[in-house]
Amino acid sequence: MNIIELRGLRKHYGDFHAVDGLDLTVQAGDVYGFLGPNGAGKSTSIRMMMSLIRPTGGTIRIFGLDLTTNRESILRRIGAIVERPDFYNYLSARHNLELLGRMSRADVSRASLMRVLGVVGLDHRAESKVKTFSHGMKQRLGIAQALLHDPDLIILDEPTTGLDPQGMKDIRDLILTLSAEHKKTIFLSSHILPEVELTANRMIVINRGKAVVEGAVQDLLNAGRMKVTISTPQAQEAAVLLRSTHADANIQVADGAIVMLAERADIPHIVQHLVQSSISVERVVPVRSLEEYFLTLTKEDRHG
Amino acid sequence: MGDLLLMLRVELSKVFSKWRTFIGYIAIGILVPIIVVAMRAEGVSYFAFATQSIKDVFEFQGNLLNGYTVSLIIMSTMFVHVPFLVTLVAGDILAGEATGGTYRLVFTRPIPRSTVVTAKWLTSMLTAVMLVAWLALLSFGLGIPLLGTGEVVNIRSKITIIAADDVIWRFVWAYGMACLSMMTISSIAFLLSSLVENAIGPIMTTMAILIVFTIISAIDLPFFATVRPFLVNNHMIAWRYMFDDPVPWARIYTSISILAAHIVTCFVAAQIIIRRKDILT
Repeated sequence: MNIIELRGLRKHYGDFHAVDGLDLTVQAGDVYGFLGPNGAGKSTSIRMMMSLIRPTGGTIRIFGLDLTTNRESILRRIGAIVERPDFYNYLSARHNLELLGRMSRADVSRASLMRVLGVVGLDHRAESKVKTFSHGMKQRLGIAQALLHDPDLIILDEPTTGLDPQGMKDIRDLILTLSAEHKKTIFLSSHILPEVELTANRMIVINRGKAVVEGAVQDLLNAGRMKVTISTPQAQEAAVLLRSTHADANIQVADGAIVMLAERADIPHIVQHLVQSSISVERVVPVRSLEEYFLTLTKEDRHG
Repeated sequence: MGDLLLMLRVELSKVFSKWRTFIGYIAIGILVPIIVVAMRAEGVSYFAFATQSIKDVFEFQGNLLNGYTVSLIIMSTMFVHVPFLVTLVAGDILAGEATGGTYRLVFTRPIPRSTVVTAKWLTSMLTAVMLVAWLALLSFGLGIPLLGTGEVVNIRSKITIIAADDVIWRFVWAYGMACLSMMTISSIAFLLSSLVENAIGPIMTTMAILIVFTIISAIDLPFFATVRPFLVNNHMIAWRYMFDDPVPWARIYTSISILAAHIVTCFVAAQIIIRRKDILT
């Protein structure tokens, strides 16, 4: 079942096209990575999905329903953080959650609020005013308010911004738990690409308001050329040999190894070629980081 | 209706958790007791000063410096300042959400925007009415025990003396109309609050509108005379007519209609603005 379907989504501000014909589909149970450089249109898209801004054109269907005609019934099933985690600073964490929970028809009993605060590690600060919170603590509170009414779809816009490494790991683990154990669908917008790599099963990269690529994270990581490190005691000889056959592979020698770009399918042939040329191969490490892939895609799009 | 009551409860909880909401109550809570006590101590000389131009023509007998008269004096003197206290809440109620970035929290809940705006407007109206009620409660609650009751002397362009047993219903009407006046100011601040992202703007602009209208009303030129009947400040003081004898009901009904029209117009305009607003903060 499709949980989110965007078709030809547009938001224009005069001549500026913040979102320009965006299509995407998120299926039930997905942890869906939503990637793009600053100004790509990610936040604008999320704001349209949360009915904060009105699209110039296109359609938004969530849970199979049109957002314009079913706003309240759709929002009842969504928990979201949209950009910065802003709260009523003059109220305590618990009082903020209580008010927001009431608006979402959630259980706002003290036990329920403390349980959600416990999930994000803020139960010991429940009665502290939010104005005394650090950015990271507000971020955690933002996640708590998104989970409060047990939504089916969770939209997280940069959820780990401002968190320390342990906090980032905690949120990643929480996302994986929500997906695997609670069967939630998660729409994760992030600049921290390893975060998407570690948590998402499908993703889209957008740039200048348009989709650049969409698909399964592993398929996208395995597609195209990747960085391959080949450890060998004859690194210089290997480099000379491979430069003659793979001129555009950007071959470099470093620390007793050669580093080159290659298609995944071509790696066995390269190793075979080296061995047949009496060059011993100790180790082959193909590395495809989402970050490199992302930068390549957005760079191509900029030049294209 | 369920959503509206829910949001009203939420908004009242937010408003009464803010320090600025209590500024008006504290200001009135300090000033009214000071005025009542001062009147008890030196009210006779104040009254003599106020009536010095006519003391040779009229002879005053009985307890004219009483709780009723002092309540009327308090209402007349403080009515200039109460609008500012009212705008502190209404000017902030929408713009404050924009400033704090919390529109994103409120407008992503499964509650229609129109319901949220209605609840916020009702909250503004309630706080305005409560401020007038607080003024009335303190004026009567302190004035009558300390100064007793008696005839009300209303000194404006002419002197009207109203019998003690003819006063209460006039005060009820006067405070009711004062509530309507403050609701009008509150509605103007509310509308301005829907347009901007900082609460200072609506508060200052509302006060600026009142000051400009007051200046226009004070200038005796034919052009201003034509617009004067439509300026809200001239109808905000219509409660004073309740202490004329006979009461000019036609004039009062006209003022009530014009104030009500302002309130409805501001409310509907704010609804349209928020309904169409893209939340970018």
